[in-house]
Amino acid sequence: MSWDGMMTVATLELRQRVRTSKWPIVLAVWVAIIALVAFLSYWATNDADLRSGESMYDIVIFFVLGLAMLIVPSLTATSVNGDREHGVLATLQTTLLTHWDIVMGKLVAAWVISMTFLVTAMPFMAWAWFEGGVRGDKIALSVVVLMLVLAVVCALGLMFSTLTARPIASAVLTYLTMGALVFGTTIGFALSAFLVTGEEKIQVFGIPDNWYETHQPPAVDPADPTLTPEQIDQLNKAGQPTPADCTTFTRTVTLAHTERIWWMLPLNPFVVVADAAPSEPRKRGDQYSSGFTPLRWISLGARSARNGPSAQATDECAMLTNTGDTGFTDPSENALKTAPVWPYGLAFLLVAGSGAAVVAGRRLRTPIRRLPNGTRIA
Amino acid sequence: MTIEVQGVRRAFGDVLAVDSISLTAAPGEVTALIGPNGSGKTTLLLMLATLLVPDQGAIRIDGLDPVTQPTEVRARIGWMPDGFGTWDALTVREVLHTVAAAYRIPPDRARARTQELLATVHLEDLGDRRARVLSRGQKQRLGLARALINDPSVLLLDEPASGLDPRSRIELRDVLRALAAQGKTVLVSSHILTELQEVADRAVIVARGRSLQTQRLDDDFVSTGTASWRIDSLDLSRLTDWLADHHVPARRVGGGLTEVEVSGEENAARLLADVVRDGIRVTTFAPSQGALETAYLAATEDRR
Ligand SMILES: Nc1ncnc2c1ncn2[C@@H]1O[C@H](COP(=O)(O)OP(=O)(O)OP(=O)(O)O)[C@@H](O)[C@H]1O
Ligand SMILES: [Mg+2]
Repeated sequence: MSWDGMMTVATLELRQRVRTSKWPIVLAVWVAIIALVAFLSYWATNDADLRSGESMYDIVIFFVLGLAMLIVPSLTATSVNGDREHGVLATLQTTLLTHWDIVMGKLVAAWVISMTFLVTAMPFMAWAWFEGGVRGDKIALSVVVLMLVLAVVCALGLMFSTLTARPIASAVLTYLTMGALVFGTTIGFALSAFLVTGEEKIQVFGIPDNWYETHQPPAVDPADPTLTPEQIDQLNKAGQPTPADCTTFTRTVTLAHTERIWWMLPLNPFVVVADAAPSEPRKRGDQYSSGFTPLRWISLGARSARNGPSAQATDECAMLTNTGDTGFTDPSENALKTAPVWPYGLAFLLVAGSGAAVVAGRRLRTPIRRLPNGTRIA
Repeated sequence: MTIEVQGVRRAFGDVLAVDSISLTAAPGEVTALIGPNGSGKTTLLLMLATLLVPDQGAIRIDGLDPVTQPTEVRARIGWMPDGFGTWDALTVREVLHTVAAAYRIPPDRARARTQELLATVHLEDLGDRRARVLSRGQKQRLGLARALINDPSVLLLDEPASGLDPRSRIELRDVLRALAAQGKTVLVSSHILTELQEVADRAVIVARGRSLQTQRLDDDFVSTGTASWRIDSLDLSRLTDWLADHHVPARRVGGGLTEVEVSGEENAARLLADVVRDGIRVTTFAPSQGALETAYLAATEDRR
């Protein structure tokens, strides 16, 4: 493979795209949709308390990824077999270009085009950044992850276009793969959740479940005017457990061990991008004001699934001893503080993408020994 | 720069496209590949163009094996496919520039070469037109220019004359002769036999994936090979009787014409003189089939 050879193919591809197809129109529609989404999310979340930066950012990224997953596969999914149908692939193959030049050139061209989509969405991310609440480095990270994910999508499409004779078949296969990655992993996770869900005995330190049955308050009417205030107080306390009542006991509960199946989630490009860039929860006074932040919810869900139900004996007594909620933290916010899951997902996607590129390269090697049924070289 | 093909075979699934073809094409010569539709000419050229691996047999181009040394072979060959495709959006000039870049030709030399080739194939005034709007014949000429861009020493042309107007065909003939005169090896498949007879030095006849015979097409062959002549006469029945009396193989064709098979121009001239001497009024005496055509028909007769 050589730089010049790759650039020759990439230039050719880009020229073809820019001149023949409706990419300017697609790009215009794309910008219009992203702009619309950004404006709507700005208005919807723009109240005095809750600045809309995070919501805007989440929504924009979500749409950028979603739309890109629809558009980008079409850049490469018919690239090779389409060229073969037009009778222009063999003309390149008989020159000094190697099969890697052709594959990488096509990949680079498709990736450059998908980057223009990303770049045109940048102003709206910048807007979200100006609205505040999102860190610049988070934006940079999520953009880098997006770029890599789109490169993987390009590579998958390219591979399918070398595997099938008909462009329509490879397009369908590419979109099916996208569907499998986005919906298949989620559905797979949901369906296999019941396999890891079961009744289990756990150790609990707290008020036994039968405490209330054994400690029935005496059948006295608290409104009885003959009672002294001390007696009423005693009556009230009789119905309430105290820390002294806490013991260790076993309880049978239903637990979902999602930590065994969580790995399905980060295969999903949405989870990868979301988890790479969860917006920080911001504290307003005592309250977490999270707003509408889909990326953070996805990230949170994936990390909680990875963490699974907590293994230690639960200490329910703490709630009795503590007055106020100082020791209490939102378990979902805790999950966000644990290790991220996106590196696994990104690693998987990158391996899949490189594998796809290698398969595509091998399929373009000439001279050909086995020709797919029903194809002619020229 | 010799092309040597030894017992090459290639099947696609259960379709045997090339059964056993052997041929030699020498530098400085134009070698014609002729045969019925589906006889495996294109498939053979694909194997020579380093696109297909033969199942059996050996191919050597300038002593190099296209299977194990494709890059070296590609640097030496120019291939013009029969099925035609060009990049939709590029202009004629850009198509040639792109192919030149694919051959690692530096841009300034590519420009000069493009200009030169556009002149050769008479597409100068269409240079900035989109390649897709070209007519079939113009595309064909662009294809020839594309095959020549790297100044190959071996040319593989698959039906280059199809779709060309008469003048372009004559020009193509001149181009091929000029290339051969430069010492290049030219292998050209075609169905236009009369045309080939004038340009080719040899013809390899293939049918059903087998090479049947190699025919030298020099002056000797033309003057001695069996050819068909058409005779039109005012005295049709007398001519028929005369031919029967003299045991000349003849048959009636449409429009009152008679066709005779004569081997060599010498004999044809003698036949005409004899017929005229015996008082038969001849109005037309012309070759109806070239020697190559006759040889081709004879070779492929049982293999239709
Ligand atoms: N990719 C392929 N798959 C299956 N069969 C094929 C393939 N390519 C060629 N064939 C078959 O192989 C035979 C030879 O085809 P080929 O194209 O080489 O013929 P040809 O001599 O070039 O014919 P023509 O004069 O019509 O151009 C034909 O019967 C054809 O149907
Ligand atoms: Mg053919």
